[in-house]
Amino acid sequence: MDIFAQLLANSVIAGALYTLITLGFNLIYGATKLINMAHGAVAASGGYIVFFLTQTWGWGMIPAVFAGVLGAGVLGAVLDWLIFAPLRRRKARPPVVFTASLGAFTVLQAFLAILFGAQFLALLPAEAADTVSVGGALITSVQLATMGLAALASVGFFLFLRFTTFGKVVRAISDDEEVAKMLGVNTDRIVRIVFFIGSAVAGLAGIMIGLDTGIQPTMGLFIIVEGVIPSIVGGIGNMAGGVIGALLLGFAENFGIWFIPSQWKGAIAFGLLTLFLIFRPQGIMGRK
Amino acid sequence: MSYLIHLSTLFSIYAILGVSLNLLIGYTGLISVMHAAFFGVGAYATALLMTKLGLNFFLAAILGAVISGVIGCAIGWLFARLGGDYYVMGSVAWNFIVVSILINWESLTNGPLGIPGIPKPSLGGFSFGSNVPFLILSLIFLVCVYAISRWVVRSSFGRVIKAVREDEEAARVFGYHTLFFKVAVSGIATAMAGIAGALFASYITFIEPTTFSVMESVLILAIVIFGGFANIRGSLLGAFALVLIPEALRFAGFSADIAANMQQLVYGLVLVLFMLYRPQGLIGEYRF
Repeated sequence: MDIFAQLLANSVIAGALYTLITLGFNLIYGATKLINMAHGAVAASGGYIVFFLTQTWGWGMIPAVFAGVLGAGVLGAVLDWLIFAPLRRRKARPPVVFTASLGAFTVLQAFLAILFGAQFLALLPAEAADTVSVGGALITSVQLATMGLAALASVGFFLFLRFTTFGKVVRAISDDEEVAKMLGVNTDRIVRIVFFIGSAVAGLAGIMIGLDTGIQPTMGLFIIVEGVIPSIVGGIGNMAGGVIGALLLGFAENFGIWFIPSQWKGAIAFGLLTLFLIFRPQGIMGRK
Repeated sequence: MSYLIHLSTLFSIYAILGVSLNLLIGYTGLISVMHAAFFGVGAYATALLMTKLGLNFFLAAILGAVISGVIGCAIGWLFARLGGDYYVMGSVAWNFIVVSILINWESLTNGPLGIPGIPKPSLGGFSFGSNVPFLILSLIFLVCVYAISRWVVRSSFGRVIKAVREDEEAARVFGYHTLFFKVAVSGIATAMAGIAGALFASYITFIEPTTFSVMESVLILAIVIFGGFANIRGSLLGAFALVLIPEALRFAGFSADIAANMQQLVYGLVLVLFMLYRPQGLIGEYRF
């Protein structure tokens, strides 16, 4: 096993996970200007749905993953319907909407802990991890799938936003919701769908984390921080920037531990964030 | 009776946290989800100065507040330059990172095991070790913090920070260096959180990193929101109500670990429901 190749592989794997989180986060931010804290808990819920379906109802892994992704999407849409849409209609200012999303995050996390307990749960038995060797680096099949899905999701989001009518409408809402509404766009419906898609991708991220390492109610916080940092680094709300930021964070963390002990991963992430906030606050792709 | 004294002591510590956070959120409009981080910095600084260097509590507490305030100024400067969204996201990330530093810097903080055996305050041979003197001591600190906050918000300084909250651009046009004011409020509020941390460390005599997690920041935020923005008396009310909630849940007969999650559920619901139906809080004087 070649250390450099392994670190390279680990960077891309981490970047792929962050990409899945950031894509949904940025999509929702782009359409609503909401820093959606609930995103992390929605992602965790995806993992728990898979756990429940496979362990309690005995579903196969593939259908359970589909159900988990769908379930997370529905959960996001429900949150929009119950909380964010009423606030939007009232033209609540960003701090209010943010605080509500933080509350939703807290409620969901507590709910998961009550239902499933606070302990760490594995979605896959440890012996199920089969590894392949790619250019001297060992990669599990789950990690391989994560990279494939992240690439697929990035390209899918790009094509979808660029070339479909729906994508154009989302961009129009992102530019100016009022004008879009005046032009006859049913913004509420579009935003609901945006929440569904963004949350479904988040659920996928939660499931892939669960398959790779495991799930825990508190994972949502980790997910939101690891989604927010690439988003700022890339330029908040910018989809391509988010992907670049996610990969950059993956590389910084994994190559950083070449020089300093691995438990300082979090500090490296924050260091990267700090550098960008000081020297390029608008992010890599952001416009001032 | 001793139970009531215990609750009153907790109330005064959380009231200090609530009042100081209200300076940041309610008066200056900076939504901080990192108050627990400074609570923790103050607690750890005080505990380490007392156990490792054998300093007197009062000296250690003041130094703890200074350390917390200086870091608060630096972090405030870093995030507040860039406007609301960056501040909010950065604050969540910063709280997350502080906890990870407390866990991982084992040579200094003793890692996840925490610091046991923190001495009680004493001054000139008089010990505040038993419950009543300690309660009186924390009430004195609360009165000081309250008085300083009241003076701050009623002074010309207070009028400027409110102007920053209302319209930063306009405040700048009138020649105020708004960043300076935001950094100054950050320093004051985080130093007060540091004092709360010093009291907490010495009262409980044991601290560990997870006490100061983002979830604790959510609790302090809930205190501010319950009472209302831009009303420091409201934060006293909020601290009173939210310190009582866990006790009420315990009387309702939930088992210990379910009760902890139920608490979080209630705090989360407080955030969501207040934002939906009464964003200014019970007796708030400002709504976003």
